[in-house]
Amino acid sequence: MERNRLQRILRAAWPRVVAIGILLGIWQLLVVVGVQSPGGEPLPGPGDAIAEIGYLVHTDVIVPALVQTLERAAIGYLLALVLGTLIGLAVVRVPVLRAGVGSLLAGLQSLPSVVWVPIATLFLAIGGQIENAVYFVVIMGAFPSIAMGLMSSYDNIPPLTFSLARSMGARGPRYYRHFIFSATLPGYVAGMKQAWAFSWRSLMAAELIIGSTASSGLGQILDNGRSLGDLPEMFAALLTILVVGIAVNDLVFAPLERGLLRRRGLVPA
Amino acid sequence: MNVALAPRPSVVTLEADPFVTLNGVTKVFGHGKRAMTALEDMSLEMARGEFVCVLGASGCGKSTLLSLIAGLDKVTSGAIEIADGRPAVMFQEPALLPWLTVRRNVELPMRLHNLDPDQRNQTANRLLSMVGLIDFADHRPHQLSGGMRQRCALARALAQDSELLLMDEPFAALDALTRDSLHDDLNRIWQETGKTIIFVTHNVREAVRLGDRVMLMTPRPGRVAQIWDVDIVRPRELDSFEVSGLAHEITAQLRAGAVIDGAK
Ligand SMILES: Nc1ncnc2c1ncn2[C@@H]1O[C@H](COP(=O)(O)OP(=O)(O)OP(=O)(O)O)[C@@H](O)[C@H]1O
Ligand SMILES: [Mg+2]
Repeated sequence: MERNRLQRILRAAWPRVVAIGILLGIWQLLVVVGVQSPGGEPLPGPGDAIAEIGYLVHTDVIVPALVQTLERAAIGYLLALVLGTLIGLAVVRVPVLRAGVGSLLAGLQSLPSVVWVPIATLFLAIGGQIENAVYFVVIMGAFPSIAMGLMSSYDNIPPLTFSLARSMGARGPRYYRHFIFSATLPGYVAGMKQAWAFSWRSLMAAELIIGSTASSGLGQILDNGRSLGDLPEMFAALLTILVVGIAVNDLVFAPLERGLLRRRGLVPA
Repeated sequence: MNVALAPRPSVVTLEADPFVTLNGVTKVFGHGKRAMTALEDMSLEMARGEFVCVLGASGCGKSTLLSLIAGLDKVTSGAIEIADGRPAVMFQEPALLPWLTVRRNVELPMRLHNLDPDQRNQTANRLLSMVGLIDFADHRPHQLSGGMRQRCALARALAQDSELLLMDEPFAALDALTRDSLHDDLNRIWQETGKTIIFVTHNVREAVRLGDRVMLMTPRPGRVAQIWDVDIVRPRELDSFEVSGLAHEITAQLRAGAVIDGAK
């Protein structure tokens, strides 16, 4: 049993290992051919970046920054989840909203979230307090995916499901609970997964640009590295940001979605 | 509401006031040039507890008729009256909810009507045993065969415990043996509960075996072609002399009118 599980994990892991290997290989290749910054500094390799992460952990820089960033991500994401869900529900329940709000959401979704940064900075980053500005950017980046996920999965419910609900006399909260909620769940979770990617992206844009020495996250380490010309630090931050983005997706959202689809027979078991 | 399948007297007499009345029912899909008359001027009265089988070629409007009676679509003209209650529908496709197990699917109508868990569980067990799915209670619909899905849908329709049961080719996907045993079950349930049943089928013998009356529809537009009273004592056998005899007669009528393709 245990061996089987191990084998399964290995089998699931190897494509990822290969992909990461290729990426690191290309990176190392660039180092070997001697890519330099205009200032003449050599490009740090993967080994340098990992060593730098070790150093940043040791000097107690990166862990607090990571915690700070994850906290922002979690709060911003949850707010986006609430807002996106409310808007999605409103659009589903009130047909008049459908056409207008639907295309607006699609438009918002295609907007790079970095465009919200100047507005957020101007209106919300008051007196060195950047948190509200950061949340705003994250919410604007992530909520459209949630609302769109809910809306499009509602639109994709087979008409027969509605007929069935009506023929059973399902109404009110029970109708939503037993039919609508369950039927839209896969699309909702797909929206949640996409929203994570968007909120992580938005958060980095916000941290990088809004910046603040008072409470710094991963984005600020990256920006710090840039302004001090500390290339290893920059790449250490970049690597950490990439790994966290992938890890949250692979450990939280992907299994959630896969389990859901498998139970409904929508992917092979 | 009633406990599911509580015994009721199996009186099949035509009462003075009918349970289901179709009065000049016409259904047109689309508008203008695209308009298509699916049903035209259909009238029928059904007594409480009656079992009517509907025969007709593919596309002649049988499913349309059922969805109008179920109140899932509106008539273009004419009227449909049901004395009381909401019909339970067994759709042509199983329409199982993929996120629920077989048991949960069957329990769904009882959940919607707030039956207590004990009763729900008991009824589900009984219905699942009846349709031979008790060992698959914890499977999900995608793990079932086509015929098993139909049987699950049958159990669910029965769990709804409506007085009026609308069935759209419920046994089309089943092998002869399973079909035969479900005929027995349906016949028994109908006799025990006094449900009123409208049963759509392509199979003439099936119609004769089950129905008090057999209604034949003409295609494009769908109309009532002819209605036969089936005065054969129950329980009937699919290959009995009487059933075969009437089935022959109906089939001959079909051929004459060429209203059904490849009649059995
Ligand atoms: N929603 C709809 N819009 C337009 N036309 C429809 C619609 N539903 C059914 N029809 C048409 O009405 C006619 C009757 O369809 P219906 O599904 O009732 O046939 P049926 O007798 O149940 O056939 P089958 O035995 O193949 O199930 C068909 O010609 C079909 O194209
Ligand atoms: Mg049909």
